[in-house]
Amino acid sequence: MKPNRFHLAVYAGLMAAALSTPAIAQNRGGTLVQITQPEPPNLASYISTAGPIAQVTSKIFDGLLEYDFSLAPKPSVAESWTVSEDGKTITFKLRQDVKFHDGQPLTSADVQFTVMEVLKKVHPRGIATYKDVVSVDTPDAHTVVFNLANPAPYLMMALSSAESPILPKHIYGEGDIKTHPNANQPIGSGPFKFTDWRKGELVRLDRNDDYWQEGKPYLDRIVVRFIADSSTRTAALEKGEAHVAGQGAVPYNDVKKLAALDSITVTTRGYEMISPMVELMMNTQKPPFDNQKVRQAINYAIDRQFVIDNVWFGFGKAAKGPISSNFESNGLFAAGKDYSVPDRIDIANKLLDEAGFPKGPDGFRFEITHDITPYGEEWQRFGEAVQQDLAKIGVKATLRYEDLPTWLKRVYTDYDFDLTSNFLFNLADPVIGVHRGIHSDRIKPGTVFVNGSRWSSPETDALMNEAAVATDVFKRRDLYKQLVEKVSEASPIAYVLELNYPTVISSEFEDVVVSPLGIYGNFASAYKK
Amino acid sequence: MKGSTLGGYILRRLWQTVPVILGVVVVNFLLLQLAPGDLATVLAGEAGGASPEFIEAMRERFGQDQPVYIQLLYYMGNLLTLDLGYSFRQSAPVLDLLLERLGPTLLLMGATLVLSLSLGILMGLLSALWVRTWKDHVISIAAIIFYATPLFWVGLMLVLVFSIKLDWFPTSGMEDVVAFYEGWDRVVDIAHHLVLPTITLSLFYLALYARLMRASMLEQRGLDYVTTARAKGLTNSQITRRHVFRNALLPVVTMAGIQTGALLGGSVVVEAVFAWPGLGQLAYQSLFARDYNLLLGIFFLSACLVVLVNLLVDIIYVMLDPRIRIG
Repeated sequence: MKPNRFHLAVYAGLMAAALSTPAIAQNRGGTLVQITQPEPPNLASYISTAGPIAQVTSKIFDGLLEYDFSLAPKPSVAESWTVSEDGKTITFKLRQDVKFHDGQPLTSADVQFTVMEVLKKVHPRGIATYKDVVSVDTPDAHTVVFNLANPAPYLMMALSSAESPILPKHIYGEGDIKTHPNANQPIGSGPFKFTDWRKGELVRLDRNDDYWQEGKPYLDRIVVRFIADSSTRTAALEKGEAHVAGQGAVPYNDVKKLAALDSITVTTRGYEMISPMVELMMNTQKPPFDNQKVRQAINYAIDRQFVIDNVWFGFGKAAKGPISSNFESNGLFAAGKDYSVPDRIDIANKLLDEAGFPKGPDGFRFEITHDITPYGEEWQRFGEAVQQDLAKIGVKATLRYEDLPTWLKRVYTDYDFDLTSNFLFNLADPVIGVHRGIHSDRIKPGTVFVNGSRWSSPETDALMNEAAVATDVFKRRDLYKQLVEKVSEASPIAYVLELNYPTVISSEFEDVVVSPLGIYGNFASAYKK
Repeated sequence: MKGSTLGGYILRRLWQTVPVILGVVVVNFLLLQLAPGDLATVLAGEAGGASPEFIEAMRERFGQDQPVYIQLLYYMGNLLTLDLGYSFRQSAPVLDLLLERLGPTLLLMGATLVLSLSLGILMGLLSALWVRTWKDHVISIAAIIFYATPLFWVGLMLVLVFSIKLDWFPTSGMEDVVAFYEGWDRVVDIAHHLVLPTITLSLFYLALYARLMRASMLEQRGLDYVTTARAKGLTNSQITRRHVFRNALLPVVTMAGIQTGALLGGSVVVEAVFAWPGLGQLAYQSLFARDYNLLLGIFFLSACLVVLVNLLVDIIYVMLDPRIRIG
C-alpha cells in the first residue's frame, strides 16, 4: 500500500502512542566520540546548510518533526498537526514541556520567529522551502499556524532539526542574525547542550538534564572530533578512540577492513533523507553535448556496475533516473530509461554515427575535457573509469582536477566545461533536491549546485510546477513518472549511481542510527552497552 | 659599534622589520587575488547551494563588491591598529582564531626544535668524534634515511606501530576527549599525545642538524686555532668542549633560524595526520575555502614569528661568539 495523507495521519497517531510508552531500561552514561569530516566552519545551522554543521547542531536543536525510515513525519516538538483540505493551512500543536537550554520555555513565538525571520530570510534552502509561507500565526503559546500562498506538501519533509532548527527568539532575536554572537555557541532545546568548541580539535556537547523526552538522552556526553587525515580517522576508529563516523568520513576500502572487526558494526541506513546521487553532467549549450544523441551515447557508455564495485567498493546502487529509489517508500520514485542494457556499447556507437561524429583515423570521434568533482580520491578513480568507458565509444576524454572554489566557478558561474562529474543530494523531497538540477528557473549563473547543464523544457518545468503544489500523493507520483521519462530521454545528466554511504559504529553503542537522518539524528536514544 | 646596547639593538631591529612585514602582507594580498573563485561561492558550495540573492548579499557583506585597491587600503588600515578582520566562514574574529591555534603550534614547534636540535647536535658531535668508524657510518646512514623519508609516511607508520599494534600512544588529538583530564593529569596527557607528532616532525630536522654539525665539527678541527690550542697543551676533550663545539654550533643555529619558517609548513602535514589543532591545518583549510582574511592573518603571524626567531638567533650568536658584535 502506498501512503497517502490519511495514512500519514494514522501513522503519526500510532507513533505518538509509541513515544509515550516507557522505554526499556537502557544504561545511562558514557561518552560517544563522533568523527565529523571536515570540521564545520561555524555552528550556525540556520544560515548554512553545510553537512558537517548539521552533524553537530542536530543534537543541540530540536525540529518540529522527526521522520521514520519510510520518510513519514513523526511528532517531535510538535506533538500533532493537521493540514487543511486545500493544503494552504498547516496547524501544529506544540508540546507544553519543552525548554531551551537556558531554562526558557519553547513557545509558538519561537517557531514564528524561526520561520519568518530566520529560515525564510537567511537559510540557503529555507528561502526556497518556505517561499510559499505567507505568515505564521500564534493563536496561543502552543499552537502554530502556517498560512501558505500555495499548497506545499514538501514543506512537511523539511522540519527536522538538521534542516529547520527551532531557535529561541529571546536569544537569536537580538542583533544581526547573520553575525550573531551565538553562531558558535548555539542554544537550543535538544538532548545535548553545547559546552565547548576547541577549533581544529573538537566540539563538546553535554547531556541536557531537562530534555523533554523522559529519561533521554542516555549518554552523558558527545564529543565531535575533527581529524583531517583519512588514515588517522580509520586508526582512531580501529583503536576505539572514536565511536561513530559516517558520510564518507572513512575511505570506502577501509570500511570493509573495519567491518571485519568484532568491535565495529557498519550500516548503510540513515541516508534515506539525503539520498546522494553520483552524476555526470553535460554542458548542453555547447557542442557536442547540445546533441541529444551524443548525450544518450555517453549515458549508455558508462558501466555502472563496474564503478560501483571498483570505485565505491560496493557501496552503491545503479541509478535509474533523477529520483532516488529511496522515494519508493512514499511513492514518489519512478524509473527512467534503462541505459544499462547488454548491447549498450553498440547502441552508443550507432547513436554517435547518427549524430554525425564518425570515427577518425586514430579511432576517436571527438575530444572532450572531463572536470572531476574535487571531493576526494574516489572521484579521480571515477573519472578514470569514465575515461575508459568513453574510449570504448571513440570519445577521448582528458581529466582535469581543480580545487573546489575553482571547480564551482568553472561549472556554475562560467559554464566553461564539457562534461563534469557531480554530486547532488535528492534531500527529503524531489521539490527540494531534484527540481534544482533540471528546472529552468534554477539556471542561475553564480549559484552553485543548481541546473548547471542548462537543459530545460517548458514541458518538464510545467510538470515540476504542478508536482510542487499537488497535495495528492498519487497525482504527484504520476507527474514525477512523466518527468523522469522526459528527463531520462533528453539525458542532460547521466544519473550513474545512488551512493549508499556507510556509517561505522562502535559495537559498544546501540541505537545510534535510528532514523533516515542517520548521523544527522539527535542521538537521544543512543546508549552505551 | 660604540654606544650600542642589546636593548637598543633589539628595538632597532624590530623597527626595521615593520616595512618587511607590511610588504609581505601586501604581496600576499595581491597574490591571493589571482586564485579563482571566492569565499561567497565556497560558502554556497559548502552549504550545498544557495540563491543568487543570498550570494550577492554575502559578497556585499564581505566587501568583495569593492575594487581590489580599496579592499587592500581598508585591510592595511585595519592592520595598523592590529585589527586582523573577521572570518565570515568561521563567524569569529581572525585574531581570536589565531590566538586559539597559536598555543598548540608553539608547543609542537618548541618540542620539535628542542628534540631535533639537541639530538641532532649530539648525533653530529658523536659522529665527528668517531669519524670514519662504524659508529659514524651508522649515525650517518640513519641521518640520510630520516632526511629522505616523507613526513606523512613516518607519521602513519608510527601510528600503526606504536598506537595500533603496541598500544603505547594515542593515534591522534591533543588530549583524551573521553576523560577530559584536569591539572597535572592534563599536562601528562598532553605530553603523552605530543610524543608521536614531535618525533615525526623532528626526524627530518634532526637529520639535517646532525649532518651539518658533523661537517662543521670536522671543518673546525682542521683550523689553525686548534693546532695552537694543542700546542698550548690542551687535551682533546678540552679543545672540543671549549673551542670547537662553540664555533661548530654557529652554522647549526643559523640553519635552525632559517628552518623555523619551514617548520610551520612541515607542520601542515603532521598536524593533519595527528589531528593536532595548530596553525598549519588552519592555513590549509582557509586556503581551500578562500577565507582570505584568515589566511592573511596567518601569513602576518608567521612572518612575525620568523622575524622574532631570527632576532633570537642573532642574540644567541653574540652569546656563542663574543667577537660577533651587535650593530
